Amino acid sequence: MPSFTRTLEQWNRKAHFYLGLYFLFFLWLFSLTGLMLNHGTWPISLAANGRVESRSERSIAPPAGGTPLEQAQDVMRQLNLVGEIDFPRQQTGWLLFSTSRPADSNQVRVNLEQHLVTVQHFDNGHLARFRILHTFSGSRYTQPESERDWSVTTIWVFAMDALAVGLIVMVLGSYYMWWRLKQDHRLGLLVLGAGALTCGWFVAGLF
Amino acid sequence: MFYRWTRDIHLYGGLFISPFLLLFAVSVFFLNHVKLVPGTETTREMFEGISIPESISQVQGAAAVTAARDILRQIDLDGEVGSARFARQNNRFLIQVLKPGLEASVDVEVGAGKVTVSKRRMGLTERLAYLHKMPGPHNVDIRGNWLPTMVWRLFADVTVYLVLFLTFSGLYLWWVLRTERRIGLVMLSLGLVTFIGCVHALLH
Repeated sequence: MPSFTRTLEQWNRKAHFYLGLYFLFFLWLFSLTGLMLNHGTWPISLAANGRVESRSERSIAPPAGGTPLEQAQDVMRQLNLVGEIDFPRQQTGWLLFSTSRPADSNQVRVNLEQHLVTVQHFDNGHLARFRILHTFSGSRYTQPESERDWSVTTIWVFAMDALAVGLIVMVLGSYYMWWRLKQDHRLGLLVLGAGALTCGWFVAGLF
Repeated sequence: MFYRWTRDIHLYGGLFISPFLLLFAVSVFFLNHVKLVPGTETTREMFEGISIPESISQVQGAAAVTAARDILRQIDLDGEVGSARFARQNNRFLIQVLKPGLEASVDVEVGAGKVTVSKRRMGLTERLAYLHKMPGPHNVDIRGNWLPTMVWRLFADVTVYLVLFLTFSGLYLWWVLRTERRIGLVMLSLGLVTFIGCVHALLH
């Protein structure tokens, strides 16, 4: 066997092991939360829907900043809130926004004339926090105006992307390992073909 | 013998779900980074003389899906009914229909028997993202009302169960190779530290 092929084979095998071990806990997290998201009627999923709601009101200093985002960030600083910011439809004389993170979320209504703020607070339970990790990216593709504005989310999205890249490398590497390991490829081709056809059938929407 | 069996099941199980894993992995980039501009590439079709179920103003949940299916059959549209509700203020029945490659909004003028269908085609990456999210946690009382969605849920579950099997069998296959234990433990520990760090930052 040429030395290049041998080296490639060794490193491909090592990469498969090392990436799998590095991402093991992420894989377990996304697998288990994926099941919960897929089965909303399971008792564990229903239990994850529970959250504790509370409401508070207080006065604040006039929100600083020229844009709604800057004003919302200033209000969050005053109220010690952190998380992703979303803006619903605005009303004259009010600044409306919500903050969210896996642990909790807040709906904030700021009366810009009286400098009064009302906060509707939702505290998520442990199972809800666990489940939200699967989908918490601070961005929704159907809402072009939504932006990531919490640095922790950016790190988490980077971890999600890294896991996706790791999975793609592991899958492509496994094709090479299988091809080199087995003399007879018929069973492998059959199994891979069955998977590809089934998956492709759904992607193409052939129904 | 046990090693060989475990390795072969790991190999062939992995080969079978590998296209699904690629789908779930590639769609992550779409879900995390792409933005759709609403209203683009939408086509409209009008239908008249549609027979509307009499009880349509009272139906909810599964009954609303059944009523929606009755209308969809007449306009030759098939797919997962994402939502179906009666809007009392303007006497309309609104249906959202979803399937890989297509998102459709069906607006039924109940009194007139007129139906307007707005369709938006999905590109390849959005199809992958759609499948990634289906059936999902929303509208659980009606979700999975179309056979392909139910079958897809089954394959998504099989993918998860096989991934779990692959991780456990992979751990065994790694542990058996004594020469890889040390560096493997380092990678496992690094992964655990990264994982705990990320989750801790998100939850606190």
